[in-house]
Amino acid sequence: MIEIKNISLWYEKSHKVLDDISGTIQCGQTVVICGPSGSGKSSLLRCINGLERFQKGEIIVDGISVQHPDTDIHKLRSNIGMVFQHFELYPHMTVMQNITLAPVRVRKKSKTEAEKKALEILERVGIPEQAFKHPEALSGGQKQRVAIARALAMEPQIMLFDEPTSALDPEMIKEVLDVMIDLAGQKMTMVVVTHEMVFARKVAHEIVFMDNGRIIEKGAGHNFFNHPKNKRTRQFLSRILI
Amino acid sequence: MWRHPYGGMFVKGIFTTIHLSLLAWIIAVILGIMIAVFRVLPPRSIRLAGSAYVQLFRNIPFLVQLFFWYFAVPLLLPKPAQEWLYDHVPDYSYWAGVTALGTYTASRLAEQFRSGLLAIPLGQYRAAYSTGLTTFQTYRYVIVPYAFRIIIPPFTTEFLSCFKNSSLTMTISVMEITHTAYYIDSFTWHGLETTTAASMMYLCISGFIVLVMSFVEKKLRIPGMIVRSQ
Amino acid sequence: MDLTVITNNFKFMAGGLVLTFQLSLITMAGGLLLGIILALARLSSKHWLYYPATFYIHFFRGLPLILVIFWLYFLTPVITGKSLNEFHAAVISFVVFEAAYFAEIIRAGIQSIPHGQSMAAYSSGLTSFQCARHVILPQALRNMTPALVTQAVVIFQDTSLGYVIGLREFLRRVNLVDAREARSVELYLFAGLIYLAFCSTGSLCSQRLENHRQRNWI
Repeated sequence: MIEIKNISLWYEKSHKVLDDISGTIQCGQTVVICGPSGSGKSSLLRCINGLERFQKGEIIVDGISVQHPDTDIHKLRSNIGMVFQHFELYPHMTVMQNITLAPVRVRKKSKTEAEKKALEILERVGIPEQAFKHPEALSGGQKQRVAIARALAMEPQIMLFDEPTSALDPEMIKEVLDVMIDLAGQKMTMVVVTHEMVFARKVAHEIVFMDNGRIIEKGAGHNFFNHPKNKRTRQFLSRILI
Repeated sequence: MWRHPYGGMFVKGIFTTIHLSLLAWIIAVILGIMIAVFRVLPPRSIRLAGSAYVQLFRNIPFLVQLFFWYFAVPLLLPKPAQEWLYDHVPDYSYWAGVTALGTYTASRLAEQFRSGLLAIPLGQYRAAYSTGLTTFQTYRYVIVPYAFRIIIPPFTTEFLSCFKNSSLTMTISVMEITHTAYYIDSFTWHGLETTTAASMMYLCISGFIVLVMSFVEKKLRIPGMIVRSQ
Repeated sequence: MDLTVITNNFKFMAGGLVLTFQLSLITMAGGLLLGIILALARLSSKHWLYYPATFYIHFFRGLPLILVIFWLYFLTPVITGKSLNEFHAAVISFVVFEAAYFAEIIRAGIQSIPHGQSMAAYSSGLTSFQCARHVILPQALRNMTPALVTQAVVIFQDTSLGYVIGLREFLRRVNLVDAREARSVELYLFAGLIYLAFCSTGSLCSQRLENHRQRNWI
């Protein structure tokens, strides 16, 4: 369970990236965060696993406070998986090496054990035959699925997705969303920043709309789309929904 | 060390370094632009000549080139010219130094100019030609000012290099800063002070040049273009 | 053009080449090592690492190598009370000097790796050390190889500066032969050719590496 309490983040006092954000994400739930560019959605995501430091407030993940000096941040991060917009696969390693790096180095698993697990996960995401290729030989959709596999290899409790389909050709978006829908069905706790409203409608338990560092509106799926309360939300939805 | 005549010697050394570097630099810029242009002109032989120049002067250490100019070149001249040289040119080591430094730095500058020219996107040429500008006008109003701004940082680095390389002329007895320091030490045994003073001079002058150039760069910066990465 | 002066003294001058190579290799190894330390210090957020490293790099880049060599030559008798063997003086001053240049190449190489790579590594729980060792450095080293080769060529040429403290490397020996035989033209052309041969090969390698890398990276 993720508790976000009054988070504020800024680089200069005049411009706050995150302004007093609060919320709770229950175990096994999928929360979708949407909003225009610069609204702070990606920064919020990065605060959850400590990749960005916020100045005010607190985030508690499964009882552990993220910015507390006593927290073992590496241990925390190994329990949270993250998928990036530009995949960020390591180009100098094969797919297999990309996936097994962290399990071997952080969880101290043996190479054979890690490779076995990696192949299982690659099967789950549908591309076991790509295991020994280099990332540049793969299509965008395949790369992102490898990225998801890499995150899943650490057996995380929580998965964070930062606009996973925004850099993909339209034809490849579906294969990635299918994997994500599958994960949601398995009751993985997921926080997804995306513009894919069809996906949101299908699986999201809660949808959060952000603009200029603040939460403008949040609501359960159906209510959010059909009865948006805030004018800004209505404006946003009318522009992005077909 | 500041006692007469050493103080005077030292100041003279500083001036020697400065005007040697500047003279060599002027030669280098003119020669460098010529060579860079050679490397982009259509006739293949001219292009090869330009490349050959650059390869030659970049792959031979400056000291070797210096010795060549100082020791070997006079021997290559016909007898009467040689006689004239030995009798009428008192500061031959200075002029050998200037020539060597000039030709060496020219080859490095030629490379910089060429990469500056190549960095300009083809679209710029097309845009200029499509509005009716002639080749000469295109180069004068669009290309050269653009290339010039791209080149400023490496240009500065090259000038600083040229300035530092002037110290090598001490090997052929040019009394510039480093040699003066060495020379004073041989009289006074205060090697440490003289070399410290010499180092200070180099650092101050380079620091000054860097400051001036970064000011110039800021003034001439093209908004939106990443010319230097921090 | 009397080429016998070259053939007669070839063995003597070639001995200098051996010294030149030795000096170059030691300088490259030492300079690279010190350069990595300096580069990492320059990239760290700890002030006690950052400021000394930055000062060091700017200091040595602002001075001519000749002056650094002299500094060392004058400084060591004062500190240790005994004068330094020329080869050792040359090695120390070269390593200390070239490290500043290597540090800048390495720093640029590391900074050219997209920030997303380290974020991806950290997000799976890797420590900064593991991230640097497995993700950042392998990629950075591949990127910097052409620049490192070019610097190696520069070092090879800079060894000729050992001349000023009487080090008997290649150029010094050519110069000694010239002093005795006075056949400057042939000798310096010969010296030039040797350096040209080695350095152009080096530059060509660097060019090849650069092209190869450009083609294989998307």
